[in-house]
Amino acid sequence: MLALLVSGCGSWSWGRRSAGPVGWGGADRQDPALSGNGRVLASVVRRDGRDTVLLQEQPSGTVLPLRHFGRLQPHRSPSLSWNGRYLALLVQQGPERRVLIEDRATGRLHRLPLPGGLVAESLSLAADGRRLAIASEGDGRSRVQLYDLTALLEPDLPAGLPVRGAPAATP
Amino acid sequence: MTRRSGSLVRAATVAVAVAGGLPLLLAGCLAPLPQPLVGLNQRLEAAGPARAPALSGDWLALIVSQGGRDRVQLVDLQRQQPVPLPGLERPDAQPLSVAVDGRGERLALVRQLEGRTELVLYRRNLMALQPVPLQPPGVPRRVSLRGDGRELAVEVSRQGQWQVDLIALP
Repeated sequence: MLALLVSGCGSWSWGRRSAGPVGWGGADRQDPALSGNGRVLASVVRRDGRDTVLLQEQPSGTVLPLRHFGRLQPHRSPSLSWNGRYLALLVQQGPERRVLIEDRATGRLHRLPLPGGLVAESLSLAADGRRLAIASEGDGRSRVQLYDLTALLEPDLPAGLPVRGAPAATP
Repeated sequence: MTRRSGSLVRAATVAVAVAGGLPLLLAGCLAPLPQPLVGLNQRLEAAGPARAPALSGDWLALIVSQGGRDRVQLVDLQRQQPVPLPGLERPDAQPLSVAVDGRGERLALVRQLEGRTELVLYRRNLMALQPVPLQPPGVPRRVSLRGDGRELAVEVSRQGQWQVDLIALP
């Protein structure tokens, strides 16, 4: 009976696990972002004194390669699409803070221009890759703006979900 | 070939090269750009200073300053309207980070309250807030939620080091 009661309480228990070692000793690990399906975790790790994005499969912790971001640092505010195909990121390049999106399927890097005078602080990519929210500072206030990416990115959807606007499948 | 005809040939060669490269140049200039969602952005701007956005599905969660106080706002992007979040707000709480699931049903929130920083889960259908314990204890900061709202990733400070915990949610 006690076991049943305990298991009943267990339905409200929280299963916590660490995101796993990052391979650089006791490095700080910040800015976590899960892909929509939860199979990819992005985080920012201090590596050789520079904040570097780390992409890992979950739950194995296997590190996933990135084509472009290894030579563009430091990084902040990563955000992933549903399957982790797209990784959006803020990259500091000299005085400029740029919004970049790497398409892991094609290897293509998209650079998104921001209106002049705005400094991006954080971002969030919609799971389907159709929208991007950017928080920025400028003109003495903080603001959040949304952008439509449909002309730029193919949708990244859960398997089996029809693409809006796609031709119907023939029997 | 005379000097004049030679220069004509060179000029023609340059013209052909430029014409051939023009499509490439134009393609670079005309690459698709992200389009600002003007109507939504105007509404967001009117709501007040805002930060910490989190997009999921047709939902945007963010922290908005209104009347000198920071509060969590959840915007239905289809209707372009904020939705009420009864039971979430406390006047003495300071939200730091927010995330939303793809149905706009669950929000994970890091907030400061009574001198503590805590991680909580809010369910809209229950209008209920539930603390998410950190084991071992630590100070949470930024949070991210999986699309189905069944797992979160949170940045936690423990003994001077930042770590990332993954927590399965019931």
